[in-house]
Amino acid sequence: MGKKRRIKGMTLGNLALFAVAAVLLISSSIGSARAALTFFSKTYTSRVQTLNIGVSLVENGSFIAWRDYDKKTADGNWDVNSVPVDQRLFQNLLDENENFLMGKVYDEKLAVHNSGNIDQYVRVNIYRYWVKVKEDGSEEKLLDLSPDLIDLNFVNTNRWLLDNESTTPERIVLYYDSILPSGETTLPFSDTLKVDGLAADHVTQTKTTNKEGYTVITTTYDYDGVEFRLEVEVNAVQTHNAKDAIWSTWGREVSISSDKKLSLR
Amino acid sequence: MKKKSLIFAGIAIILILAANLPLAWGYFSTYTEAKGGIRLQPRKVDTEIKEDVLDWTKHVIISNTGDESLYIRARAFAGSEYKLTYITGDDWTDGKDGYYYYNGILGPGQETPELLVKIENPPKDPIDGQEFNVVVVYESTPVRYDDNGKPYADWNRKLKARERSAE
Repeated sequence: MGKKRRIKGMTLGNLALFAVAAVLLISSSIGSARAALTFFSKTYTSRVQTLNIGVSLVENGSFIAWRDYDKKTADGNWDVNSVPVDQRLFQNLLDENENFLMGKVYDEKLAVHNSGNIDQYVRVNIYRYWVKVKEDGSEEKLLDLSPDLIDLNFVNTNRWLLDNESTTPERIVLYYDSILPSGETTLPFSDTLKVDGLAADHVTQTKTTNKEGYTVITTTYDYDGVEFRLEVEVNAVQTHNAKDAIWSTWGREVSISSDKKLSLR
Repeated sequence: MKKKSLIFAGIAIILILAANLPLAWGYFSTYTEAKGGIRLQPRKVDTEIKEDVLDWTKHVIISNTGDESLYIRARAFAGSEYKLTYITGDDWTDGKDGYYYYNGILGPGQETPELLVKIENPPKDPIDGQEFNVVVVYESTPVRYDDNGKPYADWNRKLKARERSAE
């Protein structure tokens, strides 16, 4: 009798709870089931609202870097361009056989594109520095050559807000002041690049006396094997609950006005 | 027993909900990055001067033995009793500042056409042991480029030099 009651108790009480648990479990796995279905059926895809975030960096009109959440793959992978990170910038800066000239101004229009399907706020981190590449291929960062010599000219500074708190000579942080709608591109944050000829003025002079007794001064530039570097990192975050999302994701306190304009606090 | 089962079921529900929570709490965000760099061409600035004296005229040729394109200027000094005349041809221009400027850019391995410096009224019968000096001073400056990539010379440019002595 006692045994029967225990089974009955199990049936009545726990069965209901078990059913709830089962429903919750099934609902938690619906996401991937839905993704699998969209893989097979385009018609079905069109009816499902998927929220995919994606962002791209545009250099002189070309998409050179992106990372888009891609629900087309069953496991929801990120779609990232396959070019190695350090071979993305400056690929079309020079013509074939053209030497880079110090002092010359080159086109370097950089902008951010929203390649996802939800609106977003964006910011960019720009790093500029000098390295010396040694014969064995290892690199040494040169701290005595000023990053200011790598002159990326910033434009639309009323829209791209400079974050004074985290900007240093080597690192510049800019926040776009408005929502970047899906499929849209920001105004460019830079238009030209010039590596200042001042970098050429650092020399080493070697004095030798030739057979006629004259002193010969040989001047060698210190930038032998020196390379300037530019890195651009783009961050994007959802616009829903933006203030908290930005604080949580980027660690920066911002204000969002009633017309959705972002300002730094 | 029923109470106990309820507690366990409650824990199960909480756990299932908790498993779903990161989805609800996480913010949509992404990032991308690009890097690039350009190696500056190593360059050496080195020049040589060749001076020949023929018939009281100095023939000055300056050659670029380094691997940087250069602008060149030169002038000569002599004692005050001797006047110097420069024969420039089309390749040199009087800068009216005492210097004569080579009109072109002297590329690596190239040499300038002759700049002739003629000594006027040379002594007709030089006494044995009389010294006669004409000193040619020349300068070079590496080609620089303006915003449009147009080359120019900056004769006031100051180099930040470190000296290294060598034999």
